[in-house]
Amino acid sequence: MSEEIERREFLKKGWMAGAGLIGVAGIWTTWDVLQPGESAGFGGEVRTIPEEAVPQDGVVAVPAARAYLTSIDGEVVAVSETCPHLGCRVPWCESSGQFECPCHGSIFNRKGEAREGPTPRGMSRYPVQIIDGLVIVNTGEPEEGEPMGTAETIDEPKRGPSCAEGSH
Amino acid sequence: MKVMERVRESTVGRSIWRAPDRATERDRAAGHWANFFLHIYPVKMRRKEMTFRYTWFLGVASVVLFGSLVVSGIYLMFFYVPSPASAYGNIQNIQTQVAFGQYMRNVHRWSAHLMVLVVAAHMARVFYRGSYKSPKEFNWVIGVILLVLTLLLSFTGYLLPWDQLAYWAVTVGASMAGFVPLLGETIKGILIGGDTVGSATLLRFYVLHVAVLPTAVVILITIHLWRWRKDAMLDTGADDE
Amino acid sequence: MSDREPVVVDGKRVLGVVPGTPPGGERKVLDEQEPVMVWPHLLVRHGVAALVVLVVVLLLALFFNAPLREIANPMDTPNPEKAPWYFAALQELLAHFHPMVAGVLVPTGIIIGLVALPYIDRNPRLSPRFRKVAVATFTVFMVVWIVLTLIGFMFRGPNWGWVWPWQDWYGEL
Repeated sequence: MSEEIERREFLKKGWMAGAGLIGVAGIWTTWDVLQPGESAGFGGEVRTIPEEAVPQDGVVAVPAARAYLTSIDGEVVAVSETCPHLGCRVPWCESSGQFECPCHGSIFNRKGEAREGPTPRGMSRYPVQIIDGLVIVNTGEPEEGEPMGTAETIDEPKRGPSCAEGSH
Repeated sequence: MKVMERVRESTVGRSIWRAPDRATERDRAAGHWANFFLHIYPVKMRRKEMTFRYTWFLGVASVVLFGSLVVSGIYLMFFYVPSPASAYGNIQNIQTQVAFGQYMRNVHRWSAHLMVLVVAAHMARVFYRGSYKSPKEFNWVIGVILLVLTLLLSFTGYLLPWDQLAYWAVTVGASMAGFVPLLGETIKGILIGGDTVGSATLLRFYVLHVAVLPTAVVILITIHLWRWRKDAMLDTGADDE
Repeated sequence: MSDREPVVVDGKRVLGVVPGTPPGGERKVLDEQEPVMVWPHLLVRHGVAALVVLVVVLLLALFFNAPLREIANPMDTPNPEKAPWYFAALQELLAHFHPMVAGVLVPTGIIIGLVALPYIDRNPRLSPRFRKVAVATFTVFMVVWIVLTLIGFMFRGPNWGWVWPWQDWYGEL
């Protein structure tokens, strides 16, 4: 009699463990399969343009690195073109001398520091090396920008009209 | 009419309909029960629950729109390959070369927009009618899930033309997922399958749009209607002015 | 067709000879609570509703083409960047609040709130007169959401600045 019960208990535990195992295996493999793959080029070190070509008072876009290069106090800075708010590409506005995001109106200075708008922080920056006069951007290790409200470290106020026509 | 009756009462007809007589209400109820397509309906309902005033027929409208989406969607699938290299060209091809391509795409687009609108209105109507109350609580929950699935279906379909509208709307949507505490970046990665919206994203959204989400919707609509049928006679009108 | 009750079409009673029951009596006042056969009473109505919906869709599709913009270009974010209309309210919130609040907490809160509604509101009454709190709460939520949707959809232009829809139209469908 007791043997019967034990066997029943054993079988019950057995099939529950089996079903659980299959479930875990299924979830694990699904999870693993869905992980993002490595994308070619971007995500590693990207060779861009000669150091002399980096402007002092504006920025230059380097599409391969999805970044802008600009020179601040003689040092090359690579600013990610992706808005830290919601991922739109932030264009540089020549007339106002600042980055103006078209999606929700976030504004950043030339170094990518948050100036106004809904963005929680400044634009990310990539480490830069100069090898044989060529700027190499390491896109694998972005540094997040400082949170909104941090004092700007360069003194470059808005220099002209903003690029947004319809804005107030 | 006569011909139909003869067919129904023949040997073959009896094997198909099983309850061929239509003389009494009892016969007709039996015929209703024996019919696969009618079995999602109750046999009888209160007169009041059948009026436009009571439901505005929004539930039926959502099902019809879903059907229209399935039909036009299958048509479009014949001419579409989900890869960044071909998607946009396929859509242009559908619009200019394929017979009724532009029209089918229009039907699909407007049905989708209308479905979001109608499902939302259906929910509001059910709220004001108080039809989520006991014992129908869980059917309301299924309805909320169906609303979310409708939005996801619409949003995944939004990416497929691979135009500027599609690309950036999905970029923004995926970035929103990135702000979920702790799991944000993981969810975003699973959603778009890479650093940025690209070929992996397009394929994932396509599979969700044409296979995973529609299957889920069909299953849930079935349960939703089945529960609706079971509860059809509950509103006794005790509360009506 | 033989209901035990007279069948009413267009307000007129259709009489027929029904085996086993006496011919239709005096005109009856329709009882709203009375159960009647789904076929044909409900199915005919559903058929008409389905046809109306289909005609609306087919006509819309005849007169308005689905939009198709330029091919996707990761190098160029359109200005303004508009979400589909059903997310316009969220996008409007995103322009004012931290993305964690507007993009995660608000939508999650709404879904959880909707799911929990029948378990929070245990008042069994159906008539809006007896459920003022529930009706008022839901109405306020709905109005706010519709207004936000309209603002995001019609009143926002480049850099998410304010525009009047009769001056510049940036809505996307």
